[in-house]
Amino acid sequence: MNTWVVGQLIRKDWQLNRVLIFASIFAGILALAVVQLATEATAVVGSVWFFIALILVGCMLPIGIVNERKKQNLAFLMSLPISSIQYTTSKLLSSTGLFLIPWLTLVLAALLSIGVRGIFPRGVIPLLLILALMPFVGFCIITAASLMGESEGWGIAANVACNSSYGLAYYFLCRVPAVMSNAASRVVVWNSTILKILGTELALIPLLLGVTYFVQSRKRDFV
Amino acid sequence: MSSMNGTFSISQTDKRPMYLQIMGQIKQRIAVGDWEEGRPISSIRQLAVDLRVSVITVKRAYLELEREGVIVTQQGKGSHVASTPGLGARLREQELGKYLEQAARIAAQLGIRGEDLEHRLREAGDRISEKETI
Amino acid sequence: MSENYHHDLAIELRGVCKKYRFFSLDHIDLDVPQGQIMGLIGPNGAGKSTTIRILLGLVHQDAGEARVLGHRMPAEQVTAKWDIGFASEDMRLYESMTLGWHMNFIRSIYPTWDAAYAQVLLKRFGLLAEQKIKGLSHGQRVKSTLLLVLARKPKLLVLDEPTTGLDPVARHEILRELTDVMADEGRSVLFSSHNTQDVEQISDQITFIDRGRIIDSMDKETYLDRWRRLRLEVPSGIELPVLPGIIGVRQEGRLAVATANAFEPDLANAYENSGAIVQRIENMTLEEIFVANVAHSREEVEA
Repeated sequence: MNTWVVGQLIRKDWQLNRVLIFASIFAGILALAVVQLATEATAVVGSVWFFIALILVGCMLPIGIVNERKKQNLAFLMSLPISSIQYTTSKLLSSTGLFLIPWLTLVLAALLSIGVRGIFPRGVIPLLLILALMPFVGFCIITAASLMGESEGWGIAANVACNSSYGLAYYFLCRVPAVMSNAASRVVVWNSTILKILGTELALIPLLLGVTYFVQSRKRDFV
Repeated sequence: MSSMNGTFSISQTDKRPMYLQIMGQIKQRIAVGDWEEGRPISSIRQLAVDLRVSVITVKRAYLELEREGVIVTQQGKGSHVASTPGLGARLREQELGKYLEQAARIAAQLGIRGEDLEHRLREAGDRISEKETI
Repeated sequence: MSENYHHDLAIELRGVCKKYRFFSLDHIDLDVPQGQIMGLIGPNGAGKSTTIRILLGLVHQDAGEARVLGHRMPAEQVTAKWDIGFASEDMRLYESMTLGWHMNFIRSIYPTWDAAYAQVLLKRFGLLAEQKIKGLSHGQRVKSTLLLVLARKPKLLVLDEPTTGLDPVARHEILRELTDVMADEGRSVLFSSHNTQDVEQISDQITFIDRGRIIDSMDKETYLDRWRRLRLEVPSGIELPVLPGIIGVRQEGRLAVATANAFEPDLANAYENSGAIVQRIENMTLEEIFVANVAHSREEVEA
């Protein structure tokens, strides 16, 4: 019986957040369109905007989680026939699902535009994936902090920490020779450094979400 | 059935406990003749809902009324005014008795007794009759 | 773990304990029979909200057993919450959504939602489904939260301060809905309130809680019957006897007021026999009992 209630909660989160989702997809597509203008300046500007769109949706979605507790909606939700762990599950599922919608859409759109239009050479694809996965990891960190943290300070701290790190991370990544070496090539080249980085990012995602689930399931006072 | 309780008024600022107020109002309706002997009355729960008071208060009122022979409650059949003939008149008598006793008590405190008391009572009676003829 | 719980108890707490840093719930025993209204009263910080949260499975007690509608809490909270309607004073709805959205949300979850009754409540409470929550006044928000809970017609209503902050008209509307619930003897209500008038009016049972302990728990009529205020005239030279059932005497000159929490007519006789004159014996309102009780129980603890 309870998949039903969890499902209703996910639907509720969609209804609360759909404007944000559509807005971020729109912003990302717009950024890709700017890239298509094919000058060096627009390529840079458009690319930056593209990643900003991903970063933004990654930090604004978890804000809803913090607000749910802060604005005392939690008592209302927990009066429904769910357990605290089912609430956590619904939150993890809906947040990740909501994030994946724009993320997948935009990454696929970017891959398509690279493959079809060729403003950027295909060698850039591994780099694109590495860079695009970072907001995803950041999103998981912020979501984890927002759900596990008992006060809103944790979510905010995670938000600030991630946002200030993206710039640095991007800078350092682009200086790793193994990552950049084949960026200009016309075919996609995978090497072990790239694969290791991608692997780490991809592993962090379920790890962070899993730890959150585990920690939340241990709590005895939920509201 | 709930319309019969429309004019009940239970007040929290009245110093008497609520169950006594309810008893008083039921007895009054019988005494005045609005509720005749044998008439069915609301169930305990229904009256509680109508008056916005707790069931236990109405239950107590009904129990006391039953003990005094004013109403009868039958399991599964609800409650009704006792079918004793002359119930209304008897209740009126009781009211009168209560007031007279109260008057006598106050009079005693003031030192008015015996013939004096009788005289005062007659005076009061006359005043009432005067007002009625006007 | 006892298996012989009573089927006719909507709520059953046995020896429930919960320890926080600055406050503990100490061996709470509580019974709410089905079909009754239980009023929970006590000063701020007494433990009413904690007790209620344990009832809902939102807080896990450190010791003791809690059963609600026969279900063990918090283990069976999901099953129990299908039949429990909970509203608390600190509960908030989603500001950016409308009342109508919330009604649809609840309706999509609970099969017992009564749409016709919901419309009746909208009218009675003077609310509009199209309004966003953020545009509502405090009283309207409270009424909205209560509407969402009432329209489902749950078997048990658990309400934490349902009338606090409401104007008199709104309060009477809420009391009306709560007593309407009583028309069905399969439904029960537990509510906590500072408003002793409301508790006195509609409760079948009253439970008094202070500093994490239950001071009194019994049916309202018996409870109110045990308390009296005796106004005495004490001639000079007479000393008032100490009597059982009297929890406090205040004397100024020749006038004294004795507060009884276990009143019997013999008490009045005992005073008269000692030479004092009993001028009046007064019933006490629940508010007066509340104040006297809290003061008395705190004296006892300190003694």
